[in-house]
Amino acid sequence: MASIVGAYGLPHTPIFPFKVAEEGASSPTGALFARVRAAFDAARPEAIVIFDTDHLNTFFLDNLPVFALGVDESFTGPVDEVRGVPVKTIPSHAGLATHLRRAAVHGGYDVALVQDFAVDHSVYVPLHFMTPELSLPVVPVFINGHVPPLPPARRCFDLGMAVRRAIESYPQPLRVAVIGTGSFSLEIYGPRVSPGRPDGVPDPGWVDEVSDHIANARIDALVAAATEQRMLHAGNVGGELLNWIAMLAFVDGRKPDFIDKQMENGHAYAAWSIPS
Amino acid sequence: MTLLAVNRVCHALMHDKDFRARMQADPRAALQAYPLSDAERAAILAGDVATLYRLGANAFLMGYLARFEVCGLTVPIYGERIRRCAP
Repeated sequence: MASIVGAYGLPHTPIFPFKVAEEGASSPTGALFARVRAAFDAARPEAIVIFDTDHLNTFFLDNLPVFALGVDESFTGPVDEVRGVPVKTIPSHAGLATHLRRAAVHGGYDVALVQDFAVDHSVYVPLHFMTPELSLPVVPVFINGHVPPLPPARRCFDLGMAVRRAIESYPQPLRVAVIGTGSFSLEIYGPRVSPGRPDGVPDPGWVDEVSDHIANARIDALVAAATEQRMLHAGNVGGELLNWIAMLAFVDGRKPDFIDKQMENGHAYAAWSIPS
Repeated sequence: MTLLAVNRVCHALMHDKDFRARMQADPRAALQAYPLSDAERAAILAGDVATLYRLGANAFLMGYLARFEVCGLTVPIYGERIRRCAP
């Protein structure tokens, strides 16, 4: 049987691969990723399931799923011109993905099928730092956290739980790491950007509140607080928190091994080791 | 529904490099193929992202107008204009 060996929360800021290449692995951003990477490596994962919000690159407004799951032997990315990163082929695991989607649909979650697809920085950047050689198969689960109406936080947590149960019932032995990626407070090219910048952090208080809930394993309180209105008040991509909430279904109400919040970026880095 | 066309224009700036080059060189001609309303077309050509935002265009996609510096926009100019829509 497959097993869950670790859960990780990560940002996906598109400039980070370039920034860390320029400034070095011991730079502040490099060190934050390295701390999660050390926990990730210690868990010895053989596959990754990542909860992610596509930034209208895999999908578009002509056909926009609320939930979707990539099912293929591989996919390509990043396709949105991430600085210093060519488009690469990322290995996936069609057998696991097929199993996850079947279980999710049978469990009542309407998860769209995605094949022959490409992803953007939001999937790629976490992989760049966790598995730089792209040596592990990756199954992406997409949650619409950008284009209202957003799915309810409770529904995303329950989807996470359904995916978790599906992994645990996968009949092959496979050590699976789960990643949730996104910001808690971030405005991209909307009215609340900082002067002269393409982005802004409109709601530092929400970053504190979310991080505090996660640090203290108050998952029900976080889910209750994370209404659409509250998340969008924190920025036009504030719904990316839903990817973390889906990931939190894997941690059994435990506190993280650590959570490092970055107020100036409105996001955090966190890791949970999961005993077998 | 033509607002979809505004969003398509922005999306194509990222994913269609030929269109991106034509938008940088002669945006009026490049936009001919898109079924935009007169107001939408005028707002794009003027780099009037505040009007586009109020019409309902997707801000993340509109960012490509600034990133690829079309219709007189740069990131700072875009920011100055979009910030006028703040509540």
